[in-house]
Amino acid sequence: MKAVCWMGTGKIETQTVPDPTILNPHDAIIKVTRTAICGSDLHLYDGFIPTMEAGDILGHEFMGLVEEVGPAVTNLQRGDRVVVPFTIACGNCFYCKNKVWSACDNTNPNAHLMEAAYGYSGSGLFGYSHMMGGYAGGQAQYVRVPFANVGPLKIESDLPDEKVLFLSDIFPTGYMAAENAQIREGDTVAVWGCGPVGQFTIASAFMLGAGRVIAIDRFPERLDLARSLGAITVDYSHEDVSVLTAIKDLTAGTGPDSCIDAVGLEAHSTELQGAYDAVKTAIMLETDRPSVLRQAIQAVRKGGTVSIPGVYGGLLDKVPFGAAFGKGITMKMGQTNMHNYMKPLLDRIEKGEIDPSYIISHRITLDEAPEMYKVWRDKKENVTKIVIDPWK
Amino acid sequence: MSQGTQTTFGSAGTMLNGRYMAPPEDKDGKIWVRTSALVQASPDDLYAMWHDVESAPQWQESIRQVVRTGAKTSHWIMGGEHKTIEWDSEILADEPGKRIAWRSIGGDSENAGEVIFEAFPGSRGTMVTVLQEFKMSKLTSAWETITGRNPKQAVVENLRHFKALAETGEIPRNQGQPHGTRGVIAGIKESLFGEKTPTPAGQSKAS
Repeated sequence: MKAVCWMGTGKIETQTVPDPTILNPHDAIIKVTRTAICGSDLHLYDGFIPTMEAGDILGHEFMGLVEEVGPAVTNLQRGDRVVVPFTIACGNCFYCKNKVWSACDNTNPNAHLMEAAYGYSGSGLFGYSHMMGGYAGGQAQYVRVPFANVGPLKIESDLPDEKVLFLSDIFPTGYMAAENAQIREGDTVAVWGCGPVGQFTIASAFMLGAGRVIAIDRFPERLDLARSLGAITVDYSHEDVSVLTAIKDLTAGTGPDSCIDAVGLEAHSTELQGAYDAVKTAIMLETDRPSVLRQAIQAVRKGGTVSIPGVYGGLLDKVPFGAAFGKGITMKMGQTNMHNYMKPLLDRIEKGEIDPSYIISHRITLDEAPEMYKVWRDKKENVTKIVIDPWK
Repeated sequence: MSQGTQTTFGSAGTMLNGRYMAPPEDKDGKIWVRTSALVQASPDDLYAMWHDVESAPQWQESIRQVVRTGAKTSHWIMGGEHKTIEWDSEILADEPGKRIAWRSIGGDSENAGEVIFEAFPGSRGTMVTVLQEFKMSKLTSAWETITGRNPKQAVVENLRHFKALAETGEIPRNQGQPHGTRGVIAGIKESLFGEKTPTPAGQSKAS
């Protein structure tokens, strides 16, 4: 089959590789009908996530048709149409039983690597480094899905793939970000980053009752989408715009009830701190560039909430913890507990409350993927979301 | 030895009269490892699974075969691609649903160990604690050659496999998946990531 492979920092190739096979009793093989490139794949492309190996198959947003199931999978059969969550969960450990699926104990074969870095290991992820499980990803024609009895969501309506594909990661991730922001009716919410996760965060914030959403980015195509959802946009690339001042101006000087960092470890900044982080990460004294996190903590109102769906991987410098303490804020974060959100969000799509396909700008083939990683990384061609048809 | 929430029993225990007990330190050519896991199964079921020594190859890395040779004794064969080692083992203490202790009695290995099963407070499952001791010798280096792991890490991984098998009926694996062209340092990376040791089969008789 064809698959998109990570071949080193800044190097992606589409190669012909063997088809996956059933390796464990709860496995299924899925024939991928649609997959996507995620913003977090760019962290791999740029070499920010350790423990990648040349030849690793990328991709954690995918859906398709069940091709084959292992002997212990009783809820799926060949031909079923499914969306697969990017976090793999066993369904039986303490964490799964308590619906903290992304902390599953039993799905990371390389848990010792994550234990060394983080103290304890979270669940395995598709196509996202050996530390996160070393599982082959779904930017391919076929993919092996472990614990297929727990994760995949059957799509029984005739909704097209593009409307349900984003249930695999970014829609639930945006929704959990809004839920973590502890929004109450009428709250003002500021969202940094209007990429795909930011878009679904904004949409979800309104679903959860936000009265005003302030959206921060620098790309006009993303800010246009944010305004189409009803957000007020702040373009920080304008020389006369200071994000912190803009946020005060738009919140009667009090700050938003909730601030959401939908950017993560590769934040871009026009301020002095941007240059500081660029230098320190280049000489390996810092692993992440947390300029958005700093702003979010600074901007949030007293007693407010900072929610972090953006990915962080390592050690952060100059995080204003005094401000966090001084204002008594709450911070919530982490990988998405996918399994809690997929079905309820599918119901919203089926009811016509939202059509997630509105963010798609590019539809490509597997062979075009390596070039499109570069285009998206460089923020060219007004990319908002890239979807791949593996069979074209 | 007293039992209850303030004292864990056996030499693998982590508490005595409400005080935390640190694991033994490596000395006199002996290395020790103590590790524990929270498992969603009853102490009785986990005891039975551990006690069924002939099923050990399903969850212990690089164990090829275990044959019961008596009521309390068994013969163990551990092997990799190029080398095997063998030893006999005897059960020293056997308290159903609570504790098993064992030691080797000749062969290529000098090791001893204990496992205890205790209900964790708050109905959170069973706490399984393993204490394993190895005499530093040709064995431990052969062990590392065979398993590709430091023997201490192997004990940690085996308990992890045991828990996964008990909770899900399988052991998570990534070996045997497709991949693109590996780089020149693929072998080094595999070792670093701990992916050289074959993941045990995991098809438990119990599941």
